[in-house]
Amino acid sequence: MSKELVKDPLNIIICGVGGQGNILATELLASALVEKGYFTTVGETYGASQRGGSVMSHVRISAAAEYGVLIPLGQADIIVSFEPTDTLRVARDYANKTTLIITDSRPNYPLGVLIGEAVYPPMEAIEAELKKLSGEVKVIEATKLAVEAGNSQATNILLMGALTALPQVPLTADDYDRVMEQRFNSNALELNRKVFKIGYEHINK
Amino acid sequence: MEWMITADEPGKTYLMQGNEAVARGALEAGIRFAAAYPGSPSSEILTMLGHVADKMEMYAEWSTNETCALEACLGASFARVRSLCVMKQNGLLVVGDALHSASLSGVKGGLVMIVADDPSAHSSTNEFDSRHQAKSAALPMLEPANIQEAKDMVKWGYELSEQLQQLVMVRTVTRINHGRSTVTLGQMLAEKPNPVTIGEWDRMVAINWFKDAQIAKLDQAQEIFEESPFNWYKGPEAPEIIIITCGTGWLYSSEAVEALGLNEKVGILKIGTTYPLPEKFIVKHLLNTNKVLVVEEVDPFLEQNIAGIIAYHPELNIELLGRCGQKTLPRNGELNPDIVRNILASLTGKVFTGPEVAVIPPEEATPLPARELTFCAGCPHRASFFLLKQTLRIHEGQGVVMGDIGCYTMGGQRAGHYLYNFLCCMGGGINAAEGMGQLTRFGFKQPVLALAGDSTFFHSCIPGLVNAKYHDSNMLFVVLDNSATAMTGFQPHPGIGLTAMGKAAEPISIQKVAEAIGCQVTVADPFDISGTTEIVYKLLKQPGLKVLILKQECATLAVRKRKKPRVWVDQDLCRGDECGCGRFCSRIWGCPGNIWDYEAGRAKIDEVVCVGCGVCASLCPAGAIKIEGGGADE
Amino acid sequence: MPGGMELKNDVFVSSVCALCGACLDWCPYIANIEDHLVMRFDCYVADGRCYSVCPRTFTDWQAISDRYLPDTPKNIEIGPYYKVYKVKASQGINGQQDGGTVSNLVKTVMEDELAETVLLTGTDDHITPEPFLVENPGDIEKAAGSRFLASPGLRKIIEAQEKKVQKLAVVGRPCQIQALRKLGYNQSNEKPPMEVISIGLFCMWSLGWDFKEYLAKEFPGEKVLRMGIPQHGFVVTTDKGEHNLPLDEVKRYIKPGCSYCLDMTSELADISVGAFEAEEGWNTVIVRSQKGQELFSKAVDKGYLICEDYPEDELNRLKGASIGKKNRNLENIQAAFDKGVKPFIDLNSEMYVKVKKMAEGMVK
Repeated sequence: MSKELVKDPLNIIICGVGGQGNILATELLASALVEKGYFTTVGETYGASQRGGSVMSHVRISAAAEYGVLIPLGQADIIVSFEPTDTLRVARDYANKTTLIITDSRPNYPLGVLIGEAVYPPMEAIEAELKKLSGEVKVIEATKLAVEAGNSQATNILLMGALTALPQVPLTADDYDRVMEQRFNSNALELNRKVFKIGYEHINK
Repeated sequence: MEWMITADEPGKTYLMQGNEAVARGALEAGIRFAAAYPGSPSSEILTMLGHVADKMEMYAEWSTNETCALEACLGASFARVRSLCVMKQNGLLVVGDALHSASLSGVKGGLVMIVADDPSAHSSTNEFDSRHQAKSAALPMLEPANIQEAKDMVKWGYELSEQLQQLVMVRTVTRINHGRSTVTLGQMLAEKPNPVTIGEWDRMVAINWFKDAQIAKLDQAQEIFEESPFNWYKGPEAPEIIIITCGTGWLYSSEAVEALGLNEKVGILKIGTTYPLPEKFIVKHLLNTNKVLVVEEVDPFLEQNIAGIIAYHPELNIELLGRCGQKTLPRNGELNPDIVRNILASLTGKVFTGPEVAVIPPEEATPLPARELTFCAGCPHRASFFLLKQTLRIHEGQGVVMGDIGCYTMGGQRAGHYLYNFLCCMGGGINAAEGMGQLTRFGFKQPVLALAGDSTFFHSCIPGLVNAKYHDSNMLFVVLDNSATAMTGFQPHPGIGLTAMGKAAEPISIQKVAEAIGCQVTVADPFDISGTTEIVYKLLKQPGLKVLILKQECATLAVRKRKKPRVWVDQDLCRGDECGCGRFCSRIWGCPGNIWDYEAGRAKIDEVVCVGCGVCASLCPAGAIKIEGGGADE
Repeated sequence: MPGGMELKNDVFVSSVCALCGACLDWCPYIANIEDHLVMRFDCYVADGRCYSVCPRTFTDWQAISDRYLPDTPKNIEIGPYYKVYKVKASQGINGQQDGGTVSNLVKTVMEDELAETVLLTGTDDHITPEPFLVENPGDIEKAAGSRFLASPGLRKIIEAQEKKVQKLAVVGRPCQIQALRKLGYNQSNEKPPMEVISIGLFCMWSLGWDFKEYLAKEFPGEKVLRMGIPQHGFVVTTDKGEHNLPLDEVKRYIKPGCSYCLDMTSELADISVGAFEAEEGWNTVIVRSQKGQELFSKAVDKGYLICEDYPEDELNRLKGASIGKKNRNLENIQAAFDKGVKPFIDLNSEMYVKVKKMAEGMVK
């Protein structure tokens, strides 16, 4: 079974807070796409992000040509996010009326909120605004599901499972699995396969 | 991926990061030597080369600073060995003297220098355009426009370097270094050059005698560049506008032209050999148009060189647009596809009909808290800044603190209670403090402090310490020793005991170095807030130079070694918002592990983030933070 | 009631702080580095305990005096009192100052369970004051002798409250007795208040802790054993012998906050004790309240203290000295308020106007 690239270029943004495994997840996704023969470019903003800042990866997929590392404003087709306020931050710049947004619901509190000087907005407000900015919004309790499956650090792979299940992404579960097999040792592979499947199945519920 | 950079699979295509592509290019060229000092966005290059060095029969070194790195490469080059030197834009300025001198002496074995600029300073304190140095030092320079080119240019750079007997600079930017894209691997060099015997009369000397030769090399480079496959033109024969671009500007420009449907009207002249420019090639194309837009990152370097070419060719009739003159492009800030597209649209009158950003009116927008940078949970810098701040509050104006470069640079923000007043470059803090510490004789009374990390100490503080001791400056030099070059990703430095290639090395003790210089050195643990506060207070009362080493391991390293204890807040003891606390742990101490439970109105520990350092427990006025368990070092 | 930031600006920054210690140890924002108080970080709590107990924030001392010593005959010079005595211990206590009266009063307090815990100030190096809570009479000796450097003794109140002490005795300087009374006056009614019996000391001034460095420089390598002001100046006894320091030299180290103090004899205490200037080895005791009377009588009845009638001329001299201090410091206070220090008393109130008049009368 194989999936085709319908929109060319396909622009995906994967974002969250530094330390959530954003980069690794994106690298696996992009490698799987290169294996399938697509021009794939990934642009990343990190560095000081380790110390609590936001991390954003732009993935551009094309069958025809190579594209620059940055997605133009308003041209993200899919946004996958590990953190709700970052989802909204990114959506405000990159979403349009046809964008599909997948987001975890677990908050990661910035310094201002922790010290009680800023307020973290309620999920309902975030979700409502996301709906106004995009075509479709799917909220997944990815961290919670990952913890239930055995490891909160595997949230990133769970979200990749969800992404892979989407019809517009030209990858099958096997395609992604092949790359995981190359990268992980047997213990990590088993856990990651488990969470990948959870995400893959969950997204269509 | 390291296996990618060493794979013997010419023709295979992989997803590679820009830094990986650079490393691969150098390996394909058969380097035997690589030296660097860590600096974002370039650090990954030497890290990877260090890991594969044994396998690839080469030597890789994290040098103590960039000057050591470049000059070490010169040594290797003298013996006809191919070498790679890597640094970020600030590092290039550190090696200024060495760079200009080396350009005069030339090199023997190929020497390629990677300089990674950081437009918009995403991971830097500032933004410099390194390309000016190529011109100043009369060095040929290449600029990759994508990740494939990053590999190809580095590989070809060695041929060029040996042909010219000159250093070659390859200038990248963050989007290339940290971006990933498809790269087709090339052939590995069959026979790597080995070191030769240096003859009695072999020379590599930087004296002005060689100035003519230096100029001639540049002319030779220009001739080679006229035919280079890294420069090309794509577009109509008689374009309304030619976009001249280099580096990341190329992909932004081609996407803009395509998005606006201007393929018949706008041509793109892509330059990969940015210095010296292939003048004939450029003039040939400029004859076909009257309007040029230059798209490049950081400074109008290419633009002003093009302006020069236009001035020297009266047969051209060009309206030149860029960051200067009419200021079509913003003078400051990183480029992106939207900026380029919008400018092209306004120049041509074409309207963009693609998808638009969805907007909602500002009053309907949910206010979002900003993500500020802070120290990690358990970071010793948090403790150091906390105790320094509280001690200095007793002094007029709270003393004067000179900062320096590292994770602790963030201490100038809220995370460190806005502690320091001054920041320059690496090693700048101690010298600024030395100077101010000489003003006591004119009635200056405030205590003067300088901060430096352990890697910063080795990089550039030793001459400063000698200077301060010899001239007996009234200051306190505080070394924040967390046994790591943390900000750039934990590369080893001379105090660690490990090399880039993973071998053990005898660590050099900062305390012993300072004592050997003759300083009075005190070592204290920043996690012992009250004890160390008293030590600082007493030191500040003494005249002359004092050295204090605040020694405690970086939390990110420590947490990998020990089983962390459980830390929690006793909800009955916690005073919360009221007098006697005022949310001291989350509001003042500010560790991301200390969070505020809005519903309960009490403090809480985020157990995922907490590393169990225990400092917050020692600060809680009610003794409400409890610690249980935790293992010894594994 | 204002909070920490106001305390910082009104008291710390303007150097009127007396180092009584009442604001210390409850919260993490205020700390002392030696004898300097620092607001370590900015506190935004609106109503602060620190501000409410501080003797250098605005207080109506007359009202407080009326509340705690309502029946005691009033006196402008040395505060309300029933009687003044000349007193000394029948048996010396190791390390005692002058007549050893305070130590014996404290002994009586503990033996007769007038309080179960006593707040005292000892010293490990015979210079630096170390306040501590005493729960058994054997430890009283540790606090014997006068402390010349200001002790932030009241920081221990928090510890006593947390230990749920029900009756606490406090030996303190006038500023500390003032703070204690403010604590009671402003205390919320929620917690059962701790009962306090206060033994106030006479105090003309206290020294700043930089005096330690002065001693180290003057007598390098010598270990200080004792300090005192017998009639002939300031005497420092070290392991190498006795040293006489001119009082003017020592006065250079007086804590700045002491220049704003208007209480020489701890006018708000249950019982006040000081030196008896006319004769070495005796104390002056002023009984001010029923509690104070009870304590004093017990100590005398047990034979710990010997007391005699207080000579009239000595009483006048004492009163004169007290008015002298009040008058000098009223001038310092006026000058401070003129410079912008936040007023902590109403200079125009009857009490202070009378003092000024009496002082003028004395000069004539």
